[in-house]
Amino acid sequence: MEKGGRDGIPISIEELNKLKEMADRARRNVIKMQFYDQSIHVGSSLSSIEILTALEMKVIRDSNDPINKDWLILSKGHAAPALYAVLHEKGLIKEEELWKIQDISGLLQGHPETFIPGVDMSTGSLGQGLSFGIGVATGIKISKGTGRVFVIMGDGEQDEGEIWEAMTHAVARNLDNLVAIIEMNGFQLDESTKDVKPKDFLPEVWRAVGWRVFHCDGHDIAGVISTVDEAIKTRKPAVIFADTKRGKGFTPIENTKRQRTVPDVARQFLLNS
Amino acid sequence: MLQGSFSSIREAFGKTLVKLGEKDNDIVVITADVGDSSRASYFKEKFPDRYFNIGISEQDMVNFGAGLSAVGKKPVVVGFAMFLMRAWEQMRNSIGRMNLNVKVFVTHSGYSDSGDGSSHQALEDIALMRVIPNFKVVIPADAAEVERSMPVVLEEKGPLYYRMGRDYSPPITSSLDYKFEIGKAYVIKEGDDLTLIGAGVVLWDALKAAEELEKMGISTAVVNVPTIKPMDQSTIEYYARKTGRIVTVEEHNVIGGVGSAVAETVVKTYPVPMRFVGATTYGRSARSQRELLDYYGITPKNIINSALELIK
Repeated sequence: MEKGGRDGIPISIEELNKLKEMADRARRNVIKMQFYDQSIHVGSSLSSIEILTALEMKVIRDSNDPINKDWLILSKGHAAPALYAVLHEKGLIKEEELWKIQDISGLLQGHPETFIPGVDMSTGSLGQGLSFGIGVATGIKISKGTGRVFVIMGDGEQDEGEIWEAMTHAVARNLDNLVAIIEMNGFQLDESTKDVKPKDFLPEVWRAVGWRVFHCDGHDIAGVISTVDEAIKTRKPAVIFADTKRGKGFTPIENTKRQRTVPDVARQFLLNS
Repeated sequence: MLQGSFSSIREAFGKTLVKLGEKDNDIVVITADVGDSSRASYFKEKFPDRYFNIGISEQDMVNFGAGLSAVGKKPVVVGFAMFLMRAWEQMRNSIGRMNLNVKVFVTHSGYSDSGDGSSHQALEDIALMRVIPNFKVVIPADAAEVERSMPVVLEEKGPLYYRMGRDYSPPITSSLDYKFEIGKAYVIKEGDDLTLIGAGVVLWDALKAAEELEKMGISTAVVNVPTIKPMDQSTIEYYARKTGRIVTVEEHNVIGGVGSAVAETVVKTYPVPMRFVGATTYGRSARSQRELLDYYGITPKNIINSALELIK
């Protein structure tokens, strides 16, 4: 295994600053991607930037051996641009590919596909990632591997019934190599999450079902890393409720249900920031 | 023809699964709380560590299987045909899309779960499953063909949907000697005037009909197409050319099922007049599968009538 496997070692200021720079570049690249394709989900992507940066750069241990590597499943697949921007920081995706997102000749699809380097599950249909993650985590355990599985979901995604099936399943299997991360950005496609179906009760339900429940600020890289470290150590299925802002850092859409703006507004924003 | 005794298709499935589990440690069995009903539970008795009852959760089951296959296991996902359809989108978007090595085995298809009524009777699943890219679709004719085909099916790479009924399994292939291959059709009876093509237990009705048609002087071939996708184009074309008329027989809606798949092949290769015998609507409850097949007209008599329409 390469990097990762931190085991709670404190992160240095220098290293943290490097991660923040990476996240900042990834954020700007996501905003820039909408110059090239105006249908990408910018708001949902910007909400995931720090979580993806923390996981990909400091937690995930890469390997070609499926049972001795860590898996990252972006169940909220519409945040694909953020994943691609972070995978570019990791050196797995070339910059020119970012600008060809959703182009028929390009590598990067509108939602993650496993033929893209660094993508562990093809997603895009909400509610499916946790079940898949349980399958991977179980397969790793019965094969006596050391891999761990991280599944990132949205708060709107929690409407899907399959998540109920999966959350009770993971507890029944007592998986300790699985960490779910639920981003609480407060919006789903049409409206704020509270106007569609209640979400506030979620941490209590996950706890009542048998998960160890953690909370963090999903835009604080050091906080995300230390919470993930704690979650891994619990030796039980663990879920992290990460408070995030949709469109974080891109003021024209920040904390609204809007996914994007027009390219001119994005261009002006990048020039001024 | 029509030798041997009636047996149970799900019993054959459960027992064969155990035999295959002995040879291949990577096979894992997952069920949505229907281990006993499907006989998948025989596997649990022998290999408890490789058997997962994940509860009444078909969507979770499909993606759990997908995840296990992603780390090199060979998952056999087992459920009732009708209830796997609530996970159709999971089969499409996870298994099919990633082309994962997951085998979906269903029991209780067609009218086979006779007592449980229309909610449990799957007459749409062939149509739904054959449209998913990467998925193959296999329907064994009887218990003997389950034993013959399962080792081959589990060796095949990629997604596959395997459709079985419950206990009703008249002897169709037990006296025949052939090596099962995916994508191959098998001639059960030769004939020159008309071909009956079908899959599953209703091939029994086709064979009965063929016997009667012979008595009327109509030389009738009967072809078993256990693989609906990919379809054996050359065999279908050969019999279309040879006999010039085809009647299909299936325990599924006549829209989108076996007959449709055969028709799609025939119009591409050698178009001939066809008739379709099968279901058109949901089933009532009944005391047996046979009663429902008779009630909904999947019978030797209707096959004969369809044949005579083409012959006149």
